[in-house]
This record gives sequence, C-alpha cells and structure tokens, in this order.
Amino acid sequence: MDSSPILEIRDLDGMAGNICLFRKLHLTLDPGEKCTLSGASGSGKSTLLKMIMGFLPVPADTIFITGEELTAKSCWRLRKCVACVSQEPEIGKGKVCDILAAPFQYRSNRSLSFELKEAQQLFECFLLPADTLQKDMEVLSGGEKQRVALTAALLLKRKLLLLDEVAAALDARSKEAVRAYLASLKNTAILSVSHDVGDFLLSSRLEWMEDLQKGGGNARD
Amino acid sequence: MPVTDIDVVRLAAGYGLLLIPLGIFLWHRVPLIGTTLVSIVRMTVQLLFIGFYLQILFDLNNIWLNIMWLAVMIAVADASILRGCDLNFRIFAIPVFVALLLGILLPVFIFLTVILYPAPALDARFLVPIFGMVLGNSLRAVIVGLQHFYDALRRREKEYFFFLSAGAGRQEALMPFLKETLQVSMAPTLANMATMGLVALPGMMTGVMIGGISPAAAIKYQIAIMIAILSGTSLAATLAVYFSLRKSLTPWGSLNRSVFTRLNQ
Repeated sequence: MDSSPILEIRDLDGMAGNICLFRKLHLTLDPGEKCTLSGASGSGKSTLLKMIMGFLPVPADTIFITGEELTAKSCWRLRKCVACVSQEPEIGKGKVCDILAAPFQYRSNRSLSFELKEAQQLFECFLLPADTLQKDMEVLSGGEKQRVALTAALLLKRKLLLLDEVAAALDARSKEAVRAYLASLKNTAILSVSHDVGDFLLSSRLEWMEDLQKGGGNARD
Repeated sequence: MPVTDIDVVRLAAGYGLLLIPLGIFLWHRVPLIGTTLVSIVRMTVQLLFIGFYLQILFDLNNIWLNIMWLAVMIAVADASILRGCDLNFRIFAIPVFVALLLGILLPVFIFLTVILYPAPALDARFLVPIFGMVLGNSLRAVIVGLQHFYDALRRREKEYFFFLSAGAGRQEALMPFLKETLQVSMAPTLANMATMGLVALPGMMTGVMIGGISPAAAIKYQIAIMIAILSGTSLAATLAVYFSLRKSLTPWGSLNRSVFTRLNQ
C-alpha cells in the first residue's frame, strides 16, 4: 500500500476576504484514515475543505494530495482523488438517477461506469426509499438531499472524502446508518467537519481547528 | 414610385400626439413627466444626428468610414449591455465587444453577400442599416444571457463545485449553466419569430413596403433579416459568455468575485 499520506497540510493560512480564520494549520491524513474535525463556528472549517478542493486559491507548498502539491494546474487532476459533500448540498436539477449518472459522462471518469445497482444498495444502507431514484431533486427534503449527495460522492470511489456537516440535516436513525456505513469503508480516507462533535463523531481521531494551528494537536507532525 | 417625404411642419404637428401620454401621466400623477420629456428630446436629437450622419456616410460611401461606424455602434451596444447587467466593465468590455463584432458580422456578411446578391454588399446603404438591425435585436439576448449565466453561477456555486468535485473539466461543469443560459436568452427572439406577421407587422417589411416594394417582395426581406437576427443573436450571446470566461473564472475554476459591480455584490 502507498505509504505517503493521502492528505497533508502544512502551514496553511485561511482567509475570508481580509479576515484571518486560521493560521499555520497542520494536518495529515493517511490512506483509509477517518478524522473528525471540529471547531467553533467561523473557525474556517468549511473554508479549509474548499481549499483542499482548490475552490479557493491555495498558497504554494501548503496542501499536498497523494504527495502532490495542490496548485491551480494540478487541482484539475487531483480533484479526481477527492469527493466532497457540502453542507446543504446542491448537486443539480432533474431526476435523481440522472444526476447520479451525470458525472460518469465526464471525460476524467471514463474508466468508471454508473451501476444503478450500487446506487440502490447505497440508498438502502442510508435508509432512503428505493423510489427516490425516480424522483425529482426538487421534491426531496434536506435530509434526503444530503444522503443523495453522499451517494453521488461515494459512487465515484475516491480515495479521499470530505464531508461538511454531513449529518446536520439527518434524523437520528439515518445518521447512525450513514455513520456505520462510512466507518466500514476500508480504503477511503474521510475528513469530516462538524461543529457539534457529540452529533457526528466518525472515528476515534478527533481534531480541533484551534489545536491544529498550535502544532500540538497533530501528534505525528 | 417615389416615397412621400414627411413635411417638417406636419411632423412638428405630430408632436401634438405626445399630449396624450403626458396628459395621462399628469392625470394619474405618475412621476414620469420628466423622464418622458428627456426621452422625447433624446430620441429626436439622436435621430436628427443619425439622419444627418447616415446621409454623409451614404454619400461618401467609404469602406473605412463604414467600418469605423460599425465599431462605434458596437462600442455603444457594449456599454449599454454592461450597464444593463451590472457586470464589471473592465473584465467584460473587450470580450463582449469581440463577441458582438464576430457574432453580428458573420450573419450580416452572409445576408449581404449571399441573400442580397447582386447588391453591392459593402455599400453603406446596405451594410450600416442591416448591421444595426441585427445588432439592436441581439442586445437583449446578450444582456439576458450574461446576466443569467453569472447570476446562476454565483447563486448555485455549490452545484458548480459539485460538478467540479465530481471530476468535471471546466467546460463540463459549465455545461448545465450554458444550456440554461441559451434557453433563457433565446426565448424572446424565438417567441417573436413565432408570432411574426400576426401580432405586428415587422419593421423591415413595413419599411420596404413604404419604400414602394410589393408585400410579396417585402416578406422576403423580412424572412432574410429574421434569419440573420436569430443566428446573430445566438452567436453573439454564446460568444459573449465564452469570451468572458477567461477573465471571469480563476485558474482554479472558481468564479472571480470581481465580475460583479460593487453595487451587485
């Protein structure tokens, strides 16, 4: 197995306009590792996820995905290692199964193929009724959308999954179902961001935004 | 058959009709009196100027002068489009100018050289009015298109980011937005085409008929100009979005926030 970390963050500063959200952040995630990242509202958790996706400009030599530096040029390739489920996700308009199938038409996903069966299985795991596949995205509730978005991300079989408050809109039972499924994924590293740790703790590894900046929170650094 | 010229004194008397809108506004206390008067004066002065200027343009019929005039028309259109959709002038001025230039010139060129053959295509008498008609009719579609595209991209950033995170290239991630944008921006032109002749007699046709041409011949002009307008509109609206992408998206693929004017942020 590849021993280099799937995600490595060094000395990263997070800005929102002119306001500094976090400074000199360090974080390392090994392949298959699950980590819950918490911190106060406004501590820059979502900003951090956006930076890892390259949706916000990233300074040089700060973020490495599968050992490769994230730059404006490499982000287009490195995004193919990462999937992301945002808070209150919006993943397109139209019928759920069409939306789930759409990414498989992208040139970069040519090696993958859309298996309806897989989507059905994931829906079952997440306690979504099977007929959700035929529904229009617009009629789904927030919790259903959340799970559909998670399914869309999982179907792509990325090595790193970024989750932003993924359980926030879920009821207790489906929250438990989602957590159990995610914990069982051996080869997928997950960075899950949640401001309420009691609400959604994905694994034993828990990091705080505040600690990662002091350099003490990340023992292996 | 010579066209009857309108007597200046009689036209001046025609201004009397304007008492109707002004009277209605006054009666209902609609605060439009000032705007109406300004619009009337602007319309009159601009048309006087154009009438005078086009006369010179037609008389001289110099190709370079014609081209310069087209450039002026595009520049004015460019400015009014950007004012219409609150987009950053510095980012959009040049891409939209080039989009209009190519988007309008191509169908107009075909119109003049293929359809209107053997009329002298580059004569000011044909080039300037036809170009103006196609340009004028495409403005709304370009405004609606740019506005819709960048609004959608900003409001539905999450959706766009989802496409990118799912492995889409820039073009693939923008495709759903482009598709929608074209639908929205082309709808009025298509609707107008579908009711052509039923609801109102179109301007081009009316013009050539007053000029003494039979209705049977006039509709041919109208059909030709509608084709030119539809193709010019679709091309200009599409190119305007594509040409502006280079500066409006960051190298990372995300939307450059400075595309919007400060007021709109």
